[in-house]
Amino acid sequence: MRANLAVLHSEERNGVVRFENVGVRYGSGPEILRDISFELEGGSFHFLTGPSGAGKTSLLKLMYLAQRPTRGLVRLFDRDVTVLKRPELPPLRRRIGVVFQDFRLINHLTALENVALPLRIAGARKEQIEAHVTELLSWVGLSGQVNAKPPTLSDGEKQRVAIARAVIGRPSLLLADEPTGNIDLDQGLRILRLFEELNKIGTTVVIATHDRSLVSTFRRPELRLQGGDLTVHRSAPAGADRLRRADPLPGA
Amino acid sequence: MFHRSELQLNRDTARRFIPLMVAAMVYLATLALAGAVVVGATVDRWSEGLRGTLTVQLPGGRGDASVAETAARTDTAVSLLLETAGIATAQPVPASDLESLLEPWLGKGNLPADLPVPVLIDVTLDPGARVDLVALQRNLVGVVPGARVSDNGVYLERLVRLARSVQLVAGVVMLLVALAAVAIIVFATRAGLSMHRETIELLHLIGARDAYIARQFVTNALWHGLLGGIIGVVLAAATVAALGVIAGEVALPVAGLRLPEQLSISLVLWLAGGLFIPVVAGLVAMGTARMTVMRTLRQVL
Repeated sequence: MRANLAVLHSEERNGVVRFENVGVRYGSGPEILRDISFELEGGSFHFLTGPSGAGKTSLLKLMYLAQRPTRGLVRLFDRDVTVLKRPELPPLRRRIGVVFQDFRLINHLTALENVALPLRIAGARKEQIEAHVTELLSWVGLSGQVNAKPPTLSDGEKQRVAIARAVIGRPSLLLADEPTGNIDLDQGLRILRLFEELNKIGTTVVIATHDRSLVSTFRRPELRLQGGDLTVHRSAPAGADRLRRADPLPGA
Repeated sequence: MFHRSELQLNRDTARRFIPLMVAAMVYLATLALAGAVVVGATVDRWSEGLRGTLTVQLPGGRGDASVAETAARTDTAVSLLLETAGIATAQPVPASDLESLLEPWLGKGNLPADLPVPVLIDVTLDPGARVDLVALQRNLVGVVPGARVSDNGVYLERLVRLARSVQLVAGVVMLLVALAAVAIIVFATRAGLSMHRETIELLHLIGARDAYIARQFVTNALWHGLLGGIIGVVLAAATVAALGVIAGEVALPVAGLRLPEQLSISLVLWLAGGLFIPVVAGLVAMGTARMTVMRTLRQVL
């Protein structure tokens, strides 16, 4: 436990995510991301915004280790990802929860089995898995669809399954690509609050979104991507954040 | 819950041909193995029967007058042989045996009285003894002109060489068949990896190790190998049994090749093979699948 705390402290000091002059290009095309430098401290909460095609998904991919940078330095949990050996990847990936924009659920598995996947892969015991997963599914409003398979679920329900799968392992870093794109406002807020709860217990959260109303409601710092460049915008003070959240949403 | 694998390889229609391909390979390999076993058993029997023996042939006499003469010459030759160091026994082959040897060509009871049937003397050597065949031939010709010594070892050696070549060919066939089976598994595994690329990527991203993914291919390959192995062995056993029945009905013209007998002798071998071959097929398929998955996944992030 003491060793874990020491690791956590050193990560917090050095940042959970750290990019230095990172560039990404596909083949011989133009750079999608250019000279990206930023650092996310442990326990921080950021929105990642920008127009379509600005490179939000590419930036997230670098963070969830689906891609390596063409140039520059990417550090995750104080580890340089470009020099990581293959056996070192899974433990690191298990600390990262990802909500994919296209959900990426496995169609022949039930909602319960899909959500259980990270625990199963990590070798958790069956009884533990079942209790945890059922609880989380009911929290995201899917207690009636525990045994439903993705093809029978609506997009909104699929998205909630995907979110449950991303958070079930209590990740240190949660990355979500448009997690509220297919669900109604109330559900969206509920999901965002779940992310906040996780954030309160130390999870670093990055949410890529088009939804300006979410950004203005939750008033968190914003990583804004435009034309391959990234700028960091600080939010209003936390007090304002709390006030705004208590207000009814515009149009709600 | 949780018994379903993420990849569901057993549902891939393209993979359903694998057990059949493995069965065909195992069938061919088992037949080659059975051939090698039969040839091996035949060679052993030849060796046992012919090792340490010689045959001495004396020219035959003509007509009744020569019978006494032939008998005298035979006695002379037998005494000389028995006096020779290293020779244990020397036994003239009875005339009735010689007649039965000629029967297929001349028919029963058709042996003309004036046919100069040669006299054959079966000679057995003392175990481990070496006899100077050139000197023996010279001495025999001295007392019985026209006598010939044939060393059965020379024939045996040639037959054994032929038999070993047949066994070698059977071995090469088995090896080629095994390589073809391995190639099929490699190909099918790569196709499976490519077909399930997206799910595999997802599993990786949520922290699965390569071994976790490989396990699903390995389980599937083990099952396919076992199933194919069992089908192949059963078909091969049926084929060999059918051959045995046919061989039992017709007298095989090849000396010493008594197929049904040799195959029933190796019944235990068949039973052992019946279990062993599918297990080997399963293990080979398993190892191949694992190696292919691990090597292929090493190339992705």
